[in-house]
Amino acid sequence: MDAFSNLATGFAAAASFQNLGFALVGCLLGTLIGVLPGIGPIPTIAMLLPITFGLDPLSSLIMLAGIYYGAQYGGSTTSILVNMPGEASSVVTCMDGYQMARQGRAGAALAVAALGSFFAGCVGTVFIAAFGPPLASLAQQFNSPDYFSLMLLGLLMAVVLAHGSVVKAIGMVVVGLLFGLVGTDVNSGAVRYTFGVSELWDGIDFLPMVIGMFGIVEIIKNLEEKELDRTAISTKFRDLWPSLKDFKDAWKPVIRGTGVGAILGILPGGGAVLASFAAYTVEKKIAKDPSRFGRGAIEGVAGPESANNAAAQTSFIPLLTLGLPSNPIMALMMGAMMIQGIQPGAAVMTSRPDLFWGMVASMWIGNLMLVVINLPMIGMWVKLLSIPYRYLFPAILMFCVIGVYGTNANSTMMVMTAAFAIFGYIMVRFGCEPAPMVLGFLLGPLMEENLRRSLVLSRGDPMIFIQRPISLTLLICAVLVLLMIVLPNVRKSREIAFQEGA
Amino acid sequence: MIRVKSPQDLGAGLVFIAIGAAGIFFGRDLTYGSAARMGPGYFPTILSYVIIAIGLVIALRGFSLEGPSIERIPLRPISLVVISILAFGFLIEVIGLALTTIVLTFIASAARKEVSWKETAILSVILAAMCVVVFVYGLSQPMPAWWGR
Repeated sequence: MDAFSNLATGFAAAASFQNLGFALVGCLLGTLIGVLPGIGPIPTIAMLLPITFGLDPLSSLIMLAGIYYGAQYGGSTTSILVNMPGEASSVVTCMDGYQMARQGRAGAALAVAALGSFFAGCVGTVFIAAFGPPLASLAQQFNSPDYFSLMLLGLLMAVVLAHGSVVKAIGMVVVGLLFGLVGTDVNSGAVRYTFGVSELWDGIDFLPMVIGMFGIVEIIKNLEEKELDRTAISTKFRDLWPSLKDFKDAWKPVIRGTGVGAILGILPGGGAVLASFAAYTVEKKIAKDPSRFGRGAIEGVAGPESANNAAAQTSFIPLLTLGLPSNPIMALMMGAMMIQGIQPGAAVMTSRPDLFWGMVASMWIGNLMLVVINLPMIGMWVKLLSIPYRYLFPAILMFCVIGVYGTNANSTMMVMTAAFAIFGYIMVRFGCEPAPMVLGFLLGPLMEENLRRSLVLSRGDPMIFIQRPISLTLLICAVLVLLMIVLPNVRKSREIAFQEGA
Repeated sequence: MIRVKSPQDLGAGLVFIAIGAAGIFFGRDLTYGSAARMGPGYFPTILSYVIIAIGLVIALRGFSLEGPSIERIPLRPISLVVISILAFGFLIEVIGLALTTIVLTFIASAARKEVSWKETAILSVILAAMCVVVFVYGLSQPMPAWWGR
């Protein structure tokens, strides 16, 4: 099967009137929430998850993907115009983007960011079409021990490449694994850790957890900070066209950024944040005059913005082919798929080709929509930016609680949301990011099941994990990753890489 | 003398240890089984021990490495936001979405220090109208718009 005819199937599925509509609504909603100060893509997606539940699986995934790109796009708009990164992956965009805006080149920065992202999005789509099928067929040779090792490696890499303390992140992952086991054990029928609460028999609900730990915690954190002055640098559509010189300066960084992003996105734990930091470092390294960076160098916008979009796309590859969410946003996507009754993995491509390819095609469509629709609406987004937080947060809070309650009209859900908000908040205060926990939470039951099957196969002999070549390779990688954390100089360069933005 | 150098690490470590201990304690009645025949308690028990081990490492690190202190937690935002979430669960079936939104807006607005009650009142009415139109009539979410359904 060639990628071309596959993509054609995908476009046929994604370009239906209804799905185009959902992609559009997703992009607009994502941008809308994304430009609002202090709300990054993770809380945005968590908050908007419930409204996609009523749709059929393809439409809901298309809409969610649209929300994701929209949120990211909104994040770069706020970084450039207000110097407030809505999310970690736009931190680097602030450095040069805001400087450009202050020099009166906001339009050029926005346009380069958008066009660069679009180019990266196109390449990312091709990447998925090219790498998806081979990876999926590789995944079909995987057996339980291989899957177990894969998940181990994936979780490890996800914490190593994410920022913050590694040990704490691993701790959060394991806590997530344990939380994932709450409810009825599929094998024995025994109920675990339900404390007599019947709502927990099916396990902890995904939505109260993510909305509590991401949406609500975000609100509380924002409330504690003083309201900042957010004067956006005003921008009109007619100022948007970059000059010829801007184009000349930007096209190479766009291509380099796309390459860096596409590769880093595939790695578990990679994704938009790492990609944008890496791309910025690359641009700074090869620039003739690195001192221009931080003072409005267009390369510093073009590279990272392309990179984060390319990575946003290619990070779908491990999820759709191996069933492995490589970062928290993919974990949210995986949660959404599971709520729709789809277990992400290689089987999706063979059993629901329309779903897989439709989603791939919709990514490209979503990227196109962002450029075509959002650039002309820039004036409106700027206006939204200046809404004070005191008007916003009650609305956001209502949105969160209605979202949770709407999917399961039960007051226990509200108690769970509140509990996860408190837990997430305490952990943030202790320097533990809640995001890795969600990865663990989703993989908990899968890891247990694969461990059980492996050990049944080997009659309890753990050597099975190193006797199978695929599993052995993955475990060796995992050990290497662990060594990397321990080695001091790798650790140092990792810290430097993440401090580049500070 | 032993001195806490990184309170954040110590705190996080203690939370992890507590979670691991709870995992073992509340999972004590689950059959452990054996490697070849894993019972429902097998994996949770292993995970709980791993969590305790990680918690110990982090907590001990709190005594050896300098780290950031825990900022004083302003109780007002977190408590009022949590109260409003819980209030939603108890009020929604009783007084409906419109009034619940108004109540919640007031509780949540109080989470900020300087509150203008007039402003809040206007905001709450606008929000209530929006929520009812969008969620009850538009998206037909399973919740009453008014009391006494």
